[in-house]
Amino acid sequence: MCPEPRPRDTAVHGLAEGGGVSVGHVRATAGRADEGEPGGRLSPLPQQGPGRGVPRHVACVMDGNGRWAAQRSLPRTSGHTAAEKTVIDVIEAARAAGVEWLSLYAFSTENWRRPSDEVDFLMRLVRRVVRKHAPLLFARGIRCRFLGVADPRIPPPLARDFADLMTLTGQNRGMTLTVAFDHGGRRDIVEAARSLIRSGVPADAVDERHFAAHLPFPDTPDVDLVIRTSGEQRISNFMLWQVAYAEWTFPPVLWPDFRATHFLECLRTYQQRDRRFGGVTPHANGEPHL
Amino acid sequence: MTDSGSSNNSRPGRKGAAGGKAGPLPPTPDAGPNPEAGPTPAAEPGSLFGPDSQFHRFFDDPRWALAVIRATVLEAAHPQVGAALIDNSTFVAHPWRRLRNTLVSLQRMFGPDDHVRQREAARLNRLHARISGADPRNRHYDAMDPEVRAWVVATLFESSVTMCRLSGQPLDQSTMEQLYAEFRAFLVALADEPGHLPPTLPEFWRYYDRMVEDELENTEALRIILYKLFDHLPAPPLLDGVPTVWAAGRALAGPLIGTITVASLPEPFRRRAGLPEVPGAQTLMQSAYAAAGLARFLPDNWIRTENLFDLLYLSPDSDDPRAAALTALRDRIKQAGALLRLATPLTSPFSQQQSVPEQTGPQRSAAEFFTEVLDQTADGYLDWPDLAAMARELSTRLDLDEPEETRLYAAYAEWWRELQAELDADGDGRISKDEYAAAVPSLAGPALIRVAEVLFDVTDADGNESIDADEYRALFRTAFSRTMTAAGPTYSRSAFITDFLSFMSGRRRSTPYDPLLADA
Repeated sequence: MCPEPRPRDTAVHGLAEGGGVSVGHVRATAGRADEGEPGGRLSPLPQQGPGRGVPRHVACVMDGNGRWAAQRSLPRTSGHTAAEKTVIDVIEAARAAGVEWLSLYAFSTENWRRPSDEVDFLMRLVRRVVRKHAPLLFARGIRCRFLGVADPRIPPPLARDFADLMTLTGQNRGMTLTVAFDHGGRRDIVEAARSLIRSGVPADAVDERHFAAHLPFPDTPDVDLVIRTSGEQRISNFMLWQVAYAEWTFPPVLWPDFRATHFLECLRTYQQRDRRFGGVTPHANGEPHL
Repeated sequence: MTDSGSSNNSRPGRKGAAGGKAGPLPPTPDAGPNPEAGPTPAAEPGSLFGPDSQFHRFFDDPRWALAVIRATVLEAAHPQVGAALIDNSTFVAHPWRRLRNTLVSLQRMFGPDDHVRQREAARLNRLHARISGADPRNRHYDAMDPEVRAWVVATLFESSVTMCRLSGQPLDQSTMEQLYAEFRAFLVALADEPGHLPPTLPEFWRYYDRMVEDELENTEALRIILYKLFDHLPAPPLLDGVPTVWAAGRALAGPLIGTITVASLPEPFRRRAGLPEVPGAQTLMQSAYAAAGLARFLPDNWIRTENLFDLLYLSPDSDDPRAAALTALRDRIKQAGALLRLATPLTSPFSQQQSVPEQTGPQRSAAEFFTEVLDQTADGYLDWPDLAAMARELSTRLDLDEPEETRLYAAYAEWWRELQAELDADGDGRISKDEYAAAVPSLAGPALIRVAEVLFDVTDADGNESIDADEYRALFRTAFSRTMTAAGPTYSRSAFITDFLSFMSGRRRSTPYDPLLADA
């Protein structure tokens, strides 16, 4: 369940990171090692740093399942299985911290290139996870959405379950969980362009806001914070339009080991960043200047 | 159950339709011309009808649902009725529409207004006169045969009596006699010569036993009703969007209704027709009747058949004030359906649940259109009875009188000849799904355009060359859609014909036509 489009992402990578797996190293984020407390008693996020609150929209690139399994000499599939616990943990942590929008990158359009056994396994796993946790998500007031889900290779029962979960939780007004499945950022943009052209808008009338209205789920706000686990530092075609102004953190922890504490540590890092959107004044809620 | 249809819409510009929903209204003082009315009101045949009749006591009784099913089975066991049902009735593909039409018709026939009754009787007679033919063993059937009609009425009467007996509250002799007199008056209102139903109750029971012993057969229609209809009963319009919920309930209720109905049939017939004796079925059947009987303690308006049916029939696109609440309800039902599916344990990873068809694209496949719209009798072939059923449903909706009704039937008959000439490749007189699919593109022939024109003419009741809001509502039971009001307050002939043709030949899904011809 992680986008690793490039074949060279193998176990060796993970092994080299060694101790990076343990709790407490999360704050070693890319390019920046801000002062922060060691992991642990982090739960209620204090409103410290340069006057910044909880990010409204957090997106996670769930990377490192394969390496996690390889480190333990297990088949890659067991890494995906272990990821389930993290997903639930992160959803809970985000909800408790007051994040309004959480997006998870579960399966990219490039992931279809993986061995068919692994793809089949992922499809079964995702279906099982969706069905297992549907009542809980519903009860917690979480609105679930699936971004992408266009490929005919997706088994129809799985697509049906996705649709059912969206129907079931569509009226919820708690946190909105967007699961990017069979997602590609460029494809979304191309689709939006097609839809725009079909709508017959004259070229001069198109601005960023008009364009964004043709993206899937146009009510989704810009991403404020992207967390990509396992230390990889790539975008991998993820929600390209929406991450335009996002802050990025790259905790070295592999996704199956990522826990609520790491998540909160990332939020803290975000709060200490100084977001300027290319200008001087920070903008609330991560709205781009339009 | 007489094959019947009628509409609830009172229409401007057509006399006599104002009392369409006559049942619950008090009798009007001037109940219309009555040729044989004596000076005293008690001497009128009309006094057997109206809100004080025994019939009205049953109409809203939940047990009556079981009784009507039982009566339909006994009807279908009559070889002539069975053959007529198989050839002409839409009850397999559109059971809800059929049941609703029957209930409205019964209400008119048993209502207080004589004028409405006469009009309805004339309509039923015209409708029945169009139904005749021969069964596979070449025995003739005719829906106008007075003996056949007497049997249909007899099964309704007998099932009402039996329903009371089975639920432990038998009717006393005088009530039974009055009810019998009402049903006999029903036949008289249809202008059948008397004598086919015996004049007294004791003679009736002899007649009934003889029919059961000698005449009834294990017909195909009977087997379809008992073993197929309830297992495949399509969802009523209200529950159309939630196939899984409907299927789950039906899987439970279908066999149960079948078993209960079989157990309530007369023993000699069960033996002769070779119907199964299921252990415990008698007890089950009696409990079901008793339980349905308890529902009479519910608040009155909960169990009004009329209300229930209006609700089942409401589609969320309608502009009925209840539709908003209904849309909310439907959303809740959809949610419940989604939860149910998600919570159902998986048997094997990707094998199940693949058969649920999604109603998505605006375009139907030829096969879908054939099944959902054209094949009204659901026998897998397109034949004259299918088109006649469409003409029947349209005349019912529009509450047509002569000569408009005949014009519409004639246009449909012309279309049938055109279809037959063009599509019946193997020359067996009917059109199979494959023959239809192979020839689809050439379908909008002159006869179909003629159907559209005649339909426009008869819908345009005031003849001003445009369909206004009331006329539109009579046909589609809903107001103009928003896209249409954008074009103006009325619907022009050319726009009407274009839309009709694009529905019938382009197979485009269309919001107003779908409930009209495709709903169950």
